[in-house]
Amino acid sequence: MVSVLQTLDSGHEDLIHGAEIDYYGLNLATCSSDNTIKIFDIKNGGQRLKADLKGHAGPVWQITWAHPRFGNILASCSYDRKVILWKETNGEWTKYYEYNNHDSSVNSVSFAPPEYGLILACGSSDGSISILTCNTETGMFDVKKIPNAHTIGCNALSWCPSALPDSTFDQKGKQTNPNNGVAAQIKRFASGGCDNAVKIWKEDGDRWIEEHKLEVHCDWIRDVAWAPSIGLPSTRIASCSQDRRVIIWSTEDFALWTPTILNTFDDVVWNVSWSLTGNVLGVSGGDNKIFLYKENNDGIWSCISEDAENAKDVRHT
Amino acid sequence: MEIEIEEKSPVIRTAEYCMNLEDLQATALSINYTGQYLLLAGRRHLALKNLYDYTEPLKLFNRNSKFEVSCAEFAICNNSSAFCAIATSQLIEVLKWTESSPVLEYSLRAHTRVVTDIDWHSKHPYMLATCSIDTYTHLWDLRDPKRPILSLSAVCMSGATQVGFNRVSGNFIATAHDGDLRIWDIRKGSRPVQYITAHLNRIHGINWSHTEESNLITASQDGSVKFFDINNPRRAERIITTPTPSPVWRARYTPPAFKEGLVTIIVPLVGSESGENSLLLWSNSKNSQSPICSFTGHNDVILDFAYRNDPYRQSNDIEIFTWSRDQTFRVWKLDKELQKLCIQNTIETENGESALEYHQRNSTQPSCSLQHEFSIIFFPSIPGIQKYELDTDKRNAMIRIVANGFIIILQVIFPSGYPFSSPPIFEFCPGTTLDDNLSLKLMKSLKDSSASRVKKGKACLEHCLRALVSDLKKETGGDKAHYLRLQSPRLEGALSKALSDSLIPFPKTSGVRFNATGILVTFARPFTAKRFSLRNQTTTPRALSALSGGYLGNVNGSKPVFYPSKDIDRKSSTGVSICIYDASKLLMVSRELAENYVIIPTNLPRMCRKNREVAEEFGRADLVQTWSIAETIALALASSDFELSDDEMFSSPNPFAKTFLEALINHYAKLGDVQTAAMLCVTFGRYYQEISSRTSSFSTKSNTSHLHAQRLLKQSVSPYHTVTAMDVNSQSVIKYNAWVLAQHLKGQTRSNSWSDSLDDFRINEVNRSVLGESNRNFYDNLKKFYADILYCYNLLPARALILKFVSSPAAFSSTVEFVTECQICKKTSKSPSCLHCKKFLLYCSYCQLPIKGSANSCLSCSHSFHTAHLLEWFENHDVCPVAGCRCPCADNFGMT
Repeated sequence: MVSVLQTLDSGHEDLIHGAEIDYYGLNLATCSSDNTIKIFDIKNGGQRLKADLKGHAGPVWQITWAHPRFGNILASCSYDRKVILWKETNGEWTKYYEYNNHDSSVNSVSFAPPEYGLILACGSSDGSISILTCNTETGMFDVKKIPNAHTIGCNALSWCPSALPDSTFDQKGKQTNPNNGVAAQIKRFASGGCDNAVKIWKEDGDRWIEEHKLEVHCDWIRDVAWAPSIGLPSTRIASCSQDRRVIIWSTEDFALWTPTILNTFDDVVWNVSWSLTGNVLGVSGGDNKIFLYKENNDGIWSCISEDAENAKDVRHT
Repeated sequence: MEIEIEEKSPVIRTAEYCMNLEDLQATALSINYTGQYLLLAGRRHLALKNLYDYTEPLKLFNRNSKFEVSCAEFAICNNSSAFCAIATSQLIEVLKWTESSPVLEYSLRAHTRVVTDIDWHSKHPYMLATCSIDTYTHLWDLRDPKRPILSLSAVCMSGATQVGFNRVSGNFIATAHDGDLRIWDIRKGSRPVQYITAHLNRIHGINWSHTEESNLITASQDGSVKFFDINNPRRAERIITTPTPSPVWRARYTPPAFKEGLVTIIVPLVGSESGENSLLLWSNSKNSQSPICSFTGHNDVILDFAYRNDPYRQSNDIEIFTWSRDQTFRVWKLDKELQKLCIQNTIETENGESALEYHQRNSTQPSCSLQHEFSIIFFPSIPGIQKYELDTDKRNAMIRIVANGFIIILQVIFPSGYPFSSPPIFEFCPGTTLDDNLSLKLMKSLKDSSASRVKKGKACLEHCLRALVSDLKKETGGDKAHYLRLQSPRLEGALSKALSDSLIPFPKTSGVRFNATGILVTFARPFTAKRFSLRNQTTTPRALSALSGGYLGNVNGSKPVFYPSKDIDRKSSTGVSICIYDASKLLMVSRELAENYVIIPTNLPRMCRKNREVAEEFGRADLVQTWSIAETIALALASSDFELSDDEMFSSPNPFAKTFLEALINHYAKLGDVQTAAMLCVTFGRYYQEISSRTSSFSTKSNTSHLHAQRLLKQSVSPYHTVTAMDVNSQSVIKYNAWVLAQHLKGQTRSNSWSDSLDDFRINEVNRSVLGESNRNFYDNLKKFYADILYCYNLLPARALILKFVSSPAAFSSTVEFVTECQICKKTSKSPSCLHCKKFLLYCSYCQLPIKGSANSCLSCSHSFHTAHLLEWFENHDVCPVAGCRCPCADNFGMT
C-alpha cells in the first residue's frame, strides 16, 4: 500500500538527524551533524538542491516547516544552543530570526497550529521551553520561557491541534449561537523530557501552566506527537522513550489520560509520527528500523510494516 | 572565621613570552628533542618556530588537509630527532625535518577510525605507539612501516583515547579507554597485564613517572588527577581534585630536572572567567592539596603544553610552552623559587582535607548546611574576590570583590529557609564604587540567579558570585574570553560542553515523518556505515556523552564523525539514506478521488451515482458499495422532497436513513477515512435545494452566510413574516443581509405586511437535514479537515465547495469589519446598542425607530435602514430617503 516515490542522497557529510517535507510536499529539508541544513526541490520526483543553509555551529538536531500561509519558513535547532528561523524570499533562503537564549543544546522545535499565528516552541537540554510568538506585521518576536519545564532537559514537543471539538459549550449553546463554536480555543502542547514524564501545558492568560504530568515511561522521553484531530471526541498523544516503549495516551476531557502501551521494541525508540488522519503511526528507533502501526476498527493496533523498505510489499486488509 | 586568601592561594605567574599567531588554527604542539624547534600543526599549516631565536619569523608549510591534526609528536631520541609523527583522521604520517622543509617519510596505515594519540618510545629511536577510537593500539617500528609490529586489541567498546610508554624501562604501555586504564607489557603483547578502573569519567591524559617505573598519573573529566602504582592498582595512591571540579585535560610530571612537580591543564566550566584557563603547578607530595602556582594569561582553553630544558644548561630552570585556543603561544618558567615551594610542600605535614573527602563532594549532593557550602567554595578560584568573611552562626558573609577597577563590598544574609525556600539577601555596603545604574543592574541579576537556583533547592553563593563578577566585567567592558568562546563553539562543544553532554539526548540517526499530504519520509543510517561501537551494545545509549569518543578523542574540533565508513575519502558521504513514500493509500485519502469527486447539491442521486463511478474507476470497491447505498437514500429523499409543501410537515421520509448514515460516517471517521466521511456529510448534511439553486451567484462569498441565508429565506417564505429578525449577536447576518435580500427581492413578490414584533421573532429552526443537529460540530470538523487536505493538494475549488457546507462560520480573519460609533460616547460597538451608555446606535432613516434586528447601512452615505424598510423604499426609488442626501444607495445595495 506504500509505494516509493523516490530515494535521495542528501549529500550531507555526516549523519542526518531529521528530514521533513513541507506542507504541499514540494520541498524536503534535511539536517545533519555536519552543521548544515539542505533544502531539496522534490516536485514531480525531481531532487534539485535548492539551498544549503549554514548558520549553526553544531550538529542540527531538528527542523520543522511553518504553515505556508506565513511564507516558506523553516525552523531549526542545534547543539550550539541556537534556534534559527529561515525564510525564503525570491528563491533566496536567509536567516529570518535567531534565538539564542538557551543555555544548552536545543533538541526540539515545533510550530503551533497556524490558526494561532506563527508560534514556535523550543525545548532545550537546559530544561526550559521557549515559546516564540511572531507578530507577522512587524516581524518582531515575543518570547515566553517556561523555566525548568523538565529537570535535566526537554527532548520533544508537539502542539495540540486546534480543530478539537470544544467541550465547554454544550449542544444547545452551539445551536443557538454558532459563533461560539469557534470561541477562542485553549492552546495546549505536550512536551517530553529527561524526567521520564510527558507534560501537557496549557495557556492561561499570558502564562503557560502545567496541566498534566503523565508518568508511565521509566526512562527519557525521546519524542511526543499529538495526533491530528478529525473531530472525534477523543484526543491522543503518542510518546516514545529510551525505555523502548511507545505509549498512546488518550483522553476525552483533558482531565483523565489513559495510557496504552503500543509495543516494547528491541531498541530505543526515537521518533513517532502520526499520519494526517491519525490512523497510522510511524515509529523509528535506534535499530535503524521503521515501523508503521495501524489501528483496526476495534481499537487494536497492529504493525502493518516492518522497515519501510519492505513496506511496499505489505498489504493491509 | 576570617581567611586571608593570600595565605593559601597559589602563586600567580604570568607568561615570560607571548606570541599571537592568528589564523594559524593549529591544534597540536610539539617541541623537538633538542629544544630548538616548536611545531604547531593544524589543518592548513605546519608552523615551525625557532626557539633559539624568537625574532626569526615563523616557517609555514602548507598542508591543506581536509582533517584536523589530532596529534603531533617529535621523536624523543637523539638518533631519530628529526622525525615527527602527525596524526590526521585514520592516518599517521611520519615526517623527517631536513634543513629546508619536512619530507614525508612514512605513512602508517592500520587504524580504521580517528587516531587519538601518539607516543614515541624513549629508548628505541624507531618505535612509536598509536591509539585510536577503533579500540586498537598499534606499535610501529619505522624500519618496517608497512604494518604494526604489535597490535594491542582492547576487547572493549570504548575507543582508546590516550597511549603512553613507560619512561623508565619502556616495557609497559598504558592506554586509556573511557574511564579505564589498561597496562600492557610489550614483551607479552596480546593481553593487558593490568586493568585499572581509574575514573568514572573519561580519562584525558596519561603520564608515566620519569623516575619510578610503576607509577603513572591520569587526568580525567571528573576533575581529578589520580596517582597509580601499577603493582597495586586497586586504589589510587593519591588523588588531587581541581578547585571547581573542572575537567583536567592534561596532567604531566615535570621533567627530572624539576623535582616533585606536576603540571595540569584545566578545562574551565562553561561561563567561567579567563583566570581559570590556567596551567596549575602542583606539588608531587602526598599531602599537598592545593596548587602551588597558577600560570595565568590565556584567554581561552589551553590545548597542549610541552616542557623544555634550558637549552644552554646554565640553570635547572624549565620552560613550559603552551598553545591555546586563543591562538597564542606562551612561554612560562619553572624557576628555583617554584622548585623550593614544591619541595617544601613535600616536607610539610599539613593536616588539610583528605583527598578522598575532597573528591567525594564531586558527587554534588545539594548541601543544606551553610558551613558545608562555604567549605566547598574555593574562593580564590573566583576571579576578583579579594577577601571574604563568613559567619555561619549569624548566617551572613561579607565579600570584597575587585574587578575592572570597581570595588564591591557585598553583604550576604542567609535566611533560615536557605537554600530550600528563600534566597539569600544581597546588599552592597558602603565602600562600593558602583554607580546607581550599574548597581541596580547587578543587584537584579544577583537576585534572579539566586532565586532560580534556590527554586531548585540548590546552594547559590558560588554561582551568584561568579555571575556577579562576570556581569561586572561585561558591563564595564573587557570580557574577551566570552567572545572568543562564541567564535569557536564547536571546540567548546568538544571540551567544556562535555560536562553536560551526558544530559543531551543521543542523536537520532533514523526517523519517520508524515507530511500533510500523505507523503511519508524516512531516513536511516546508511548501510555502509558501521554501527558505532558502544560500551553497552544491547541498546542504543541515551546521552550524547556516549559518543564523546568521537568528539573528545579528537579534541581539536574536527568533525564529530559518528559512523565513518571504511574508505578514507568518503566521497559518496552518507549515501542514499532518505526515502520518500507515497502513503496516501494507507491513509485512505486519495488524491485521485479528491480530484474527481463531484458535488451536485441540486441532484443528490446523480451526485452519488457519479461518485460511485469515480470510486469504481479508481478501484475502490468498498466505496462503490457505499455510494450505491447513498444513492438509494438520496433517491428516497428526493422523491419525498417534492411532496413537501409545508415547512412544518418536514419529517424524515426514511426513518432509518439517519441512523444508518450516522453509523456509516462514524465508521469511516474511525477508520481515518476522512474523505468518505466528509463526502457523506456533504451529501446528506445541511442542504437546501431551494437555496443552492437560488444563491449560486453568491457562492463565491464566505461560507458563513450560508446558514443564515438559509434561515432567512426559509422564514421569509412563510406568509406571515416577510422580514426576519436575526440573532442579534451574529454579525455575519448584518454583513450578508444585503445580498440575501437582493436575491430575495428578485425572486419573490412579497406582501407588504410587516410588524414591529419581528424583532422578537424566534427562529423556529426546523431540522431539515437528514443528518440531525446533534453531531453538527463533528460533521463540520470532518468537512474542515477534509478541506484542509484538499488545500494541501491544491484543489482549491473543491475545498471551497466543501467549506460551503460547514454550518458554523469560520473565524473572521482580516476581512472588513463593520463597527458602529456611538453618537454620544464615541465608543465603537458591534452590538445594536452602545455598551457604554445603553443607547441604540442605529436608527432607521425611513421610520426613525431604533434598529434592533437586521440592519443595513449604505457604505457611501452611512444611512441605516430596517431591512424591510430598505426593501420597501428601494423597490421604487434609487436615491437615499434621507432629506438632502443624494446618495444612490440602491446601487450600493445591489438593487438596481
